[in-house]
Amino acid sequence: MALTDADLVARVLLDDDHHAFAELVRNHQSSVRGLLRQLVRADVSLADDLAQETFLRAYKNLRSFRGEARFSTWLYRIAYNCFREEARKRKELVGIDEALLEAQHDPQTTDPALRHDLAHALQLLPLHERTAILLCCQNGLSHDEAARVLEIPLGTVKTNVLRGREKLKRSLAAWGPN
Amino acid sequence: MDENFQEDWLDTRLRDEAAYVDDGGFTARVVQKLPARPVRHALRAVILLAVTLVASTIAYLLSGGGWFIAEEVTRFVLLPMPVILLCAAIATGLVMAGGFALAMSRASGRLR
Repeated sequence: MALTDADLVARVLLDDDHHAFAELVRNHQSSVRGLLRQLVRADVSLADDLAQETFLRAYKNLRSFRGEARFSTWLYRIAYNCFREEARKRKELVGIDEALLEAQHDPQTTDPALRHDLAHALQLLPLHERTAILLCCQNGLSHDEAARVLEIPLGTVKTNVLRGREKLKRSLAAWGPN
Repeated sequence: MDENFQEDWLDTRLRDEAAYVDDGGFTARVVQKLPARPVRHALRAVILLAVTLVASTIAYLLSGGGWFIAEEVTRFVLLPMPVILLCAAIATGLVMAGGFALAMSRASGRLR
């Protein structure tokens, strides 16, 4: 039987079990790295560095995880803080690397042109709307969880999601259902 | 109706966009960078005990077989009974205070 996140966290805290922490990393690396890749505009190398920093911080601060939120929500919060610190350091975010962006996707699942347009439309959104969309619509967080991750009021999250969706729908109108 | 359909379409596209990112050695790299495990409590106790024993043995040998201990015990026994009782009371108080402080610090650490 697979262990839950709570079981794995308990093992790390009690026995400093590196194998248990590795399991946590394996379970969540895809969503954390995926979110960071979207946030840093597809700079895979930077996103992976930030993801690594995220998990190392999570390990060091695991005692502060009280289990009130999902482990993934707690991780997203650390990841978002890492991203914000990096963005502050760089002042401006890196540009879109089209080649990398296309390379990381499986072209068989969706029309590459649609994928490109969607990625581009996402990148055009202001950061606060893009982040809210990525957390709520792509990673399945509730508005309340996203508010905790971003440390902003619930109403602001709802507004950002709503506005972001409106803009995406307008940008992708040509691809939408007739 | 059409609005709902459009929303579903957008959500589906957004979820598709979140393609699975293959691990590709990422987990191994993270685990490699984890801080080294601290020495376990049990091992730490064994090390402390061994060091204490070695240090005591060295001190015993260097002090000429510990003759001064026997001398001090003899002098202590010859003290008046009230002084001996006072010493015992002070020693007991110190041990109790130490234990109480330790218990309090552990309890506050658990509450934090």
